[in-house]
Amino acid sequence: MTLTRRAFVGRSGAVLAAFGLSSSFAGRAIAQGSDTLRIALSARGFRTLDPARSIQGADEWAIIHMFDTLVDIPLGRFPESVDEVQPSLAESWTVSEDSRTWTFKLRPDVQFHKGYGPLTSEDVKFSFDRLLNPEELGVRSALYENLESVTADAPDTVTLQLKLPDPLFIMGTLLHHSASIISKKAYDEKGSEAFERDPIGTGPYQLESVAEDPSQGVLLTANPDYWGEAPVIPNLQTMYIADTTARTLALMSGDIHMMEGVRAPGWVPSIQSQSPGLHFDVASPGSFFTISFSLATPPFDDQRVRQAIAYLIDRGQIAEAMAPFGQRTWGMNPPSFPGGFTAETIPEEIRYERNVEKAKELLAEAGHPDGFSFKAYTSQREDYSSIMLMIQQLLREGGVEMELELRDHTAFHADQATGTNTVYQRSAAYPPVPTQAISEQLAATSEVKPDSSGGPNFSRYGVVIPGIDEMLAATMAEPDLEKRLELVRDMEVKILTDLPLLPIVTNGYMMVRAAEVDLGYEVESGYAHWRLTKASFAS
Amino acid sequence: MTRYIVVRLLDAIPTVLLVLTLVFVAMRILPGDPAVAALGDFATPEQREAFREKMGLNAPLWQQYLTFVVSSLTLDFGVSMMNGRDVLGLIAYNLPYTIELTIASVLLGVVIGVPFGVWAATNPNRAPDSAMRGFSLIGYAVPDFYLGALLLIVFSLNLGWFPINGGGEGFLDRMHHVFLPALTLAFIKAAFLGRLTRTALLEVMGRDYIRTARAKGAREPRVIYRHGLRNALLPLTTGLGLTTLTALSGSVAIELVFNRPGLGKLLISAIAERDYAVIQGGIVVFALFVVAINLAMDLVYVLVDPRIRVS
Repeated sequence: MTLTRRAFVGRSGAVLAAFGLSSSFAGRAIAQGSDTLRIALSARGFRTLDPARSIQGADEWAIIHMFDTLVDIPLGRFPESVDEVQPSLAESWTVSEDSRTWTFKLRPDVQFHKGYGPLTSEDVKFSFDRLLNPEELGVRSALYENLESVTADAPDTVTLQLKLPDPLFIMGTLLHHSASIISKKAYDEKGSEAFERDPIGTGPYQLESVAEDPSQGVLLTANPDYWGEAPVIPNLQTMYIADTTARTLALMSGDIHMMEGVRAPGWVPSIQSQSPGLHFDVASPGSFFTISFSLATPPFDDQRVRQAIAYLIDRGQIAEAMAPFGQRTWGMNPPSFPGGFTAETIPEEIRYERNVEKAKELLAEAGHPDGFSFKAYTSQREDYSSIMLMIQQLLREGGVEMELELRDHTAFHADQATGTNTVYQRSAAYPPVPTQAISEQLAATSEVKPDSSGGPNFSRYGVVIPGIDEMLAATMAEPDLEKRLELVRDMEVKILTDLPLLPIVTNGYMMVRAAEVDLGYEVESGYAHWRLTKASFAS
Repeated sequence: MTRYIVVRLLDAIPTVLLVLTLVFVAMRILPGDPAVAALGDFATPEQREAFREKMGLNAPLWQQYLTFVVSSLTLDFGVSMMNGRDVLGLIAYNLPYTIELTIASVLLGVVIGVPFGVWAATNPNRAPDSAMRGFSLIGYAVPDFYLGALLLIVFSLNLGWFPINGGGEGFLDRMHHVFLPALTLAFIKAAFLGRLTRTALLEVMGRDYIRTARAKGAREPRVIYRHGLRNALLPLTTGLGLTTLTALSGSVAIELVFNRPGLGKLLISAIAERDYAVIQGGIVVFALFVVAINLAMDLVYVLVDPRIRVS
């Protein structure tokens, strides 16, 4: 084919004309139907809807609406005791005296989505067996290490047998979204890969579609056979918008009704000043932000230096700067968790209120009368960089100069996992199980390793200096809840005295809600997602 | 012409192979473990190992390289490490959005920039020329993502004329969605093309054939557009090629700000998640795209300047 100059110019003109026509297509193409609740989450796109494989918080908003667990949290908050745990697919349960055998009676007449039949104990057994199966690429199996076996005793009765006693089993592992019950029939029929994009559960919503365009995300519709109260809004759309500006503009324009907030100082007042009617829902405690000292690296091998740093960091001030999502914490477990120290119960010697004079005295005793300087790196992510910059400023007042290098978030984690930082940072969320954060970040078995095959015990507590391993083992073997919590507090005292790690603040997970959306309840605490079945549009 | 195209395509082969090698090396020296990114903190070392085995990350580097080159040349990029989706399918979905953004922004850039440049060149050292200089300065200085956010606030949020996010469905809806992002990129293109047009036109307007045309009594618009602008097209064509390539790279930030699908947004997400398969596939397609644009520009040279002949 020969293209002449005349034809070239002519065709170009036609394309221009077509474009000109399209630009006259004005007006908003935004469907503002009142039958769909649209929420935008900070993620780049959908990964999986299989509860056992999901590691992306954004996907979990859809997952918790499509699936039920055996037991549930009270609406809007973590249970404060096992008595507050709510029935869900299990209508009742019993536990043996040694807290190792948990037997659940299933709710009758629960149906799986799209005609996949009634829920039976075989589905429950299948769901947990899958989590224990090393052949399956289930990414949450570490959470189920204590689960020994699952037995379907009768069609409506199932028993979960633990290796070690756990009086908080139903408050921890069983409340996690990965413990959702799936349809065995659907999984066998569809296969694991198809199930990730087309899952079958028993939840209040069922999957309608997964859009190719991440900004349109996952569309759910109300489950007509739901055993519980039907959702007020018949459709729910979970969208993925990673860019903060794009997400904020989408909310302010009315394109979406809720968005994941940004955990950076000043963001909330800024958006509030532009749209005073917005609601801010915060689930505390959210992520625990801790710093760990490399116990093998001078001068952090000296306990007095670590304590001096603790006295220099004003954790109350940092929590205030991160408000409304940031909250002060005293120990590894936040005040709202069982066994967590509060402002009233924290012993004076491990309270570490800001005291620059005391810090300078400790530094002088340790041979650093003029302070010292060191290098550390942090992540570019807002919460990490903001907190570390505040810490840098606070340390400077005591003569400690932290030269801080900002790194890409993925690279930061990859580098930390090989044990190359001096002051490590970690922001991780935990269920209300008081041993979990301690076990993960301070047990010798979680020691960080140069080939990155280790865990997040960055300080190498229990390896470089004696740690809490024996105390932890005794705690894990204790079936009595009150005695167990006492042992947890003993561990906390030892940790805060040795200071391999300093808890800084907890950053709650925040969603911003349009003025016209009524959630139907208050969010106080919980995981980084909550059900929207009671949400409605104010008239 | 066919022989010319074949020769130019053969010329592109070493470029593509070099790009493939660079992409492969860059992926391997990038910090971050894809197994951790895909499976998260709670995965056991055994599960991470199984993931690496499944994705072929445990094979010797030379073997990974050969597999990568062969599969890239057959456009078999495998599946995403994050969500198991076919990479070619992901690219096929996203690429048209990037192409339409690139074309729309270049067209808008030409429509705004070239007449502005002609106006400035025909009024040297007067108000239009000063306006052109100011426009160019602003166009070069304002970052595209910032301008994009401003346009979104004014035209989408305040006036409600354009959608806030997404790529749209159906021709008219897609054009409606692409207009504002394209205008953002076009602003910068127009500054560049306007300046280029002004300079090229000023140079030819002093030539003898322009004087001759005027002496023969040709009207001024005919002198400018028929005799002047046509002869200034060659440098403009070079500028157009460059501007198309920058529109392609500029689409990365714009797709993020406007939250529209596209190859740039896909790549940025993949880089953040260390999704090797998507990064490799995306960059290879980007590179092929650049080679294709360069080839197209070579062909346009022949069309706009009859003196250039294929040897």
